[in-house]
Amino acid sequence: MDMNEIKEIFFQECEEQLAELESGLLKLNDGDRDPETVNAVFRAVHSIKGGAGAFGLDDLVSFAHVFETTLDCVRSNKLEPTQDVLKVMLKSADVLADLTNAARDGGSVDEARSRTLIRELEALANGEVPAAAEAPASKPAVAAPKAAAPAPVVEKPAVNDEGFQPIPFSFGDFDEEPADRYVPTCQILFRPKKDLYAKGNEAALLLRDLSRLGEMSIYCDMDSLPPLDKMNPEEAYFSWKISVTTDKGEDGVRTVFEFAEWDCDLDIRTIEEEVVGEAANEEELPMQPVPFDLSILDEGGSTGSDEEPAVIESDAAAAVAAAETVSKVAQVASRAAENAKAAASAASAAQANQAAAAGQTIRVDLDRVDRLINLVGELVINQAMLSQSVVENDTNGTSSINMGLEELQQLTREIQDSVMAIRAQPVKPVFQRMARTVREIADITGKSVRLITEGENTEVDKTVIDKLAEPLTHMIRNAVDHGLEMPEKREALGKNPEGTVRLTAKHRSGRIVIELADDGAGINREKVRQKAIDNDLIAADANLSDEEIDNLIFHAGFSTADKVSDLSGRGVGMDVVKRSIQALGGRISISSKPGQGSVFTMSLPLTLAVLDGMVVTVAGQTLVVPLTAIVETLQPEASAIHSFGASQRLISIRNSFCPLVDVGRILNFRNTQANPMDGVALLVESEGGGQRALMVDAIQGQRQVVIKSLEANYTHVPGIAAATILGDGRVALILDVDAVVAASRGQSLRQDISLAATG
Amino acid sequence: MASKKAAQKSLSLAPVLDLNEATALHAQLMGLKGGPLVIDASAVERVGALCAQVLMAGAKSWEEDKQPFTFAKVSEPFMKTMQLIGVNIDHLLAQEARQ
Repeated sequence: MDMNEIKEIFFQECEEQLAELESGLLKLNDGDRDPETVNAVFRAVHSIKGGAGAFGLDDLVSFAHVFETTLDCVRSNKLEPTQDVLKVMLKSADVLADLTNAARDGGSVDEARSRTLIRELEALANGEVPAAAEAPASKPAVAAPKAAAPAPVVEKPAVNDEGFQPIPFSFGDFDEEPADRYVPTCQILFRPKKDLYAKGNEAALLLRDLSRLGEMSIYCDMDSLPPLDKMNPEEAYFSWKISVTTDKGEDGVRTVFEFAEWDCDLDIRTIEEEVVGEAANEEELPMQPVPFDLSILDEGGSTGSDEEPAVIESDAAAAVAAAETVSKVAQVASRAAENAKAAASAASAAQANQAAAAGQTIRVDLDRVDRLINLVGELVINQAMLSQSVVENDTNGTSSINMGLEELQQLTREIQDSVMAIRAQPVKPVFQRMARTVREIADITGKSVRLITEGENTEVDKTVIDKLAEPLTHMIRNAVDHGLEMPEKREALGKNPEGTVRLTAKHRSGRIVIELADDGAGINREKVRQKAIDNDLIAADANLSDEEIDNLIFHAGFSTADKVSDLSGRGVGMDVVKRSIQALGGRISISSKPGQGSVFTMSLPLTLAVLDGMVVTVAGQTLVVPLTAIVETLQPEASAIHSFGASQRLISIRNSFCPLVDVGRILNFRNTQANPMDGVALLVESEGGGQRALMVDAIQGQRQVVIKSLEANYTHVPGIAAATILGDGRVALILDVDAVVAASRGQSLRQDISLAATG
Repeated sequence: MASKKAAQKSLSLAPVLDLNEATALHAQLMGLKGGPLVIDASAVERVGALCAQVLMAGAKSWEEDKQPFTFAKVSEPFMKTMQLIGVNIDHLLAQEARQ
């Protein structure tokens, strides 16, 4: 394993930790006061800091450190996680994410923003008297100039200008035990896990730092060490029993293991408490004293090329130096925090084990999965071809070959489903990104918004997830910027001044349905209508239903905002959203109630690799029409067909007229109009909610087809979404229903159709 | 880095025995199994716990094979780290290397 690989793993883990951090903070924001939630949040920041330290990412470390210090105050109940506090923390989580991204991909972060946040975090951490105990921990952060010296803040602990009131803290409970009267001995049980080494930590360096704390004796337990041929050189076999006599106490010892805490089993006890108990048998171990001068190891360490020992070193050294300057008050306070901390770490260790047992996962290159999916697609096609040729050649009817083929068919179907499931991922990461978008826009617009997400664990194909983020961001921006009213106005209307945006995902009949609802003003139909008239989108006297008016906002170049803001309102929003959703094979619809808000509903296919389609014949060509687009099929009767204008025809279905679209004509398969009576009409739902009847020559049947991209293999063909290979080995084109419908409205398929046809 | 010297083989350890070196060291030792081995640790500047584990596992295996496994020369950082992490190699030191 080289360093870059480890670094890549670190960043992947960072992403997970950041997600964990954000969901934890949101839980706290919702009033969750479970200590485990606080721990999870703390752990996330801590792990990021630890890893960043090992890779020498100073910016990240210093920010994470300040953040962690403040979180520690929450963890030890010194700071009440109020909404105001959490607002700062959520923003800090965003900055932490930015810093992580900057560290990975280069680029810069908003320095001013992180500086402000560091100040706010420090103000929170130092908002109370016992925060003195946090001061030494903040010391390593001085490496970065922006971490405004924490020491002076301790002198004036009441930082009122940030708006946070200090909470009086009583020392009465801890008076009876002055910490400096004896030098306690700590008994440490240190059992590293494999991860500790894999993350670039080194047990020997931890032990060296430990030996600096005071007089140390050590016993190395090699019992679990297997013989050479059975060992894994990167596994952790050694464990240590250590006793250190130090005036830094348990806290000093914990500081040494700070970066490694989650990757080892660590048990630290102070002997004084144990002497009465069961410490005696521990004493019998053949401890080796470590009383020598270690300076030679330092030189060895610093001549080494990688920077990690240096970082750990300076961190520890700073902590040691700082610890010496701490007043007695701080020691007493930290002893008080000790108990809470020990309990917390025990709980978190338990949780970590639980998490490990919960589900094992492996990381796989997406390319490999795609290759597998591709192969399975080929297998499905091949199986279809095989069964077709057997059926054609087999005149005996039920032969054993047929039986076997049916089983094969089931198997391939199952393989296909399981392979698709590999690519399926929960929508959670996208939803979490939206939380950040909401926060930022709420900040800019001065509105107070609460984002509620439901069904984050709904799974959908990774491609869909990746492409979902952009349209969702647009829509969320719109919902907050245009949908929700200002707090004062909401209050005047008798609504909760805090607006609600609800984002839900669910599975419905083989598709994923994502709903975005706000409780704002709803669409102002009068304004939309007027705007549409002004922009020449509709005629001034057009008679439109409410639904049709609502759908006007999806038109290109439409915006209801009076002035163009930074966020949205440039009039490119909703039509872009609609196009990207359609590009995913999805549909978007809107329903709005004045004064009560709007609901945008998106329905998307679960996968972009297979599609349920209706196989039809048009002018001798085989086409596939996506089943999701089809409302019903019907056999037109002569009496139902009406001519309209020069070449248009309408079909009357249950007393309403619907334009008849000749697919063969639009795709230039034939030059003359087909006779509707010879064919079949497919009633399809189209853009804007209207219905169209697509005319095809015959229906062959319904089939699940494997999608083969035309763009990747050939080039984009207007009116055609993709292609597939049928059982007889022929290529069939998949119809892009919306493009065909749009073409039937007069705006013919773009000119490049001729190029495509000849090219 | 193994060079044949009469019947017994010898292994000179690399200056930096960190995480990246553990697998290589393990492979080297595996290749030397079955005969007496003399290890030269005089160039070692830094040694991590993982490599210490490999060396100790080696010592264990050689002991099982009833073959001698000795450290001919050791550098000071090597000795000190071994002491630090509580691994006693006194019994593995060649006569002349003992102080």
